[in-house]
Amino acid sequence: MIRCLAVAVVACALGGPAAAHKLVVFASTDCEMVLVEAKFSNGNAAQQGEVRVLDGQNTVLTTLALETGGTAQIALDKVDHSEGLVIEVDTGGHDNYWILTPEDIARNCGS
Amino acid sequence: MRVAFVSLGVALTAGAAVAEERPRIVAVNYPLAFMAEALVGEAAEVVFPVPDGVDPSFWRPSIADISMMQSSDLILLSGAGFAAWIDRVSLPRSRLVDTSSDYFDRFIATGTITHSHGDGGEHSHEGTATYTWLDPELAMAQATAVAAAITARDLAPAADVGAALADLTAQLQALDEEAESALADAGETVFIATHPRYQYLARAYDLTVLSLEWEAGAMPNAAELSALEAMVADQGADVLIWEATPPDAALEAVASLGLASVTFPPLAMPPQSGGFAEAFAASVSALAEAVPDGSTN
Repeated sequence: MIRCLAVAVVACALGGPAAAHKLVVFASTDCEMVLVEAKFSNGNAAQQGEVRVLDGQNTVLTTLALETGGTAQIALDKVDHSEGLVIEVDTGGHDNYWILTPEDIARNCGS
Repeated sequence: MRVAFVSLGVALTAGAAVAEERPRIVAVNYPLAFMAEALVGEAAEVVFPVPDGVDPSFWRPSIADISMMQSSDLILLSGAGFAAWIDRVSLPRSRLVDTSSDYFDRFIATGTITHSHGDGGEHSHEGTATYTWLDPELAMAQATAVAAAITARDLAPAADVGAALADLTAQLQALDEEAESALADAGETVFIATHPRYQYLARAYDLTVLSLEWEAGAMPNAAELSALEAMVADQGADVLIWEATPPDAALEAVASLGLASVTFPPLAMPPQSGGFAEAFAASVSALAEAVPDGSTN
C-alpha cells in the first residue's frame, strides 16, 4: 500500500547531542515556599542556571541562581503571587518554564 | 417601554446564565476545535485558546490561559507530542483526553532537530511527527475519540453527538476519497516541504515529501535557497510546499529553480477562509494541479 515514503530532514547540523538533553522544569508550592526543580531529560540535575519568577503580566518579580542539585526556593510572601507565577529557568544553553496558577497555589494552601 | 426594557434585561440575564452553564471544552489545535464544535453544536462552548496568527505548536500559554483550562470540563489533546506546553503546567487528569490514544501504533518517527523560531524559544522536532490530522483516516479516529470523551462526560446529548459524528465521519471519508483520487498519479513526483509537517499526508497518499526547516511564510535567505537548489539537483524535485504563503520574491526565487509552488496550510491553526474540510480539499487540489504533466485525473 505504501509505495514510497521519504521524509528527509535537512539542516542536521542543528541536531546532535544538545537536542537530546532538553531542560525540564517543575515547580510546586507548600503554601510557604515555591520549590523549583530543573533537570535535563536524561535525569541529570542542572548544575547552574538563572531562575526568573514572573507574575501574570510577565513582569519579572525576582531572579535567583539555581542551587546545587538543580533546585531553588522562593518564599511566597516575598512575591506577589495573586495572579499566579511563571517560573523560568535558563541554564545558558537551555531554558524552560513552569506555570503556577492562583488555583495551584491555593490548592496547596488548603483553601 | 419600561416593561420592554425590563423584559430585555431579564432575557439577557437569562441568556448569560445559560451561556455560563454551558460546559467548556478546550482544544489544543484547530482540528480538534473543529471536530468538537461539529460534535457538540451549541451544547458546549469550544475554546481554542491560541491567539490568531500564533502557531499552536510553539504557543506559550499565560497563567490566565491555564487557569481557564483548569476550570474547563474537557481538555482535548492531540497526542504525538503536539503542544509541548502541556508538560509545563498542572491540568486535571480526569478532564484530559489524548485523542490519539487509539492509533499510537500509526505514529511516524522523525529525526531530531532543535532550533528556535523568533521569540518562540527553543524547540525540537524529535521523536514523533505531530500533524496526524493530515491523514483523514487518523482524523476520523480522532473525531471518534472526541465524541467518546464528550459523551462520557455528558457534555452534550449522546444521540446528538452520535448523529454529528456520523456526519463528520462521512465528511472526512469524502475528503479522503477525494484526496486519494486527486493524488493517485503523484507517486512519481518529488515534493519538498518548507517545514516537516506533511509526514502523515505523505504516508496516506504514497507521496514522496522531503523537508526543509524554513520559517513559515518568510523569504528564505541565500543559504537556504542554495541548499534547496542542491536538493532539487540531487532529488529531482518538482514541487515546493509552503505552509504559509511567502512573499512574491520567494515564489520567484523558487520558480527560477524549476519548482512549482503550492501553499498547503497544515491547519494546526484556523485557515484564513473556510473550515477544515474546505481548506484541506483546496490544498489537495492545488497539490494535484502542481504535479507535472497536467491533471492527475
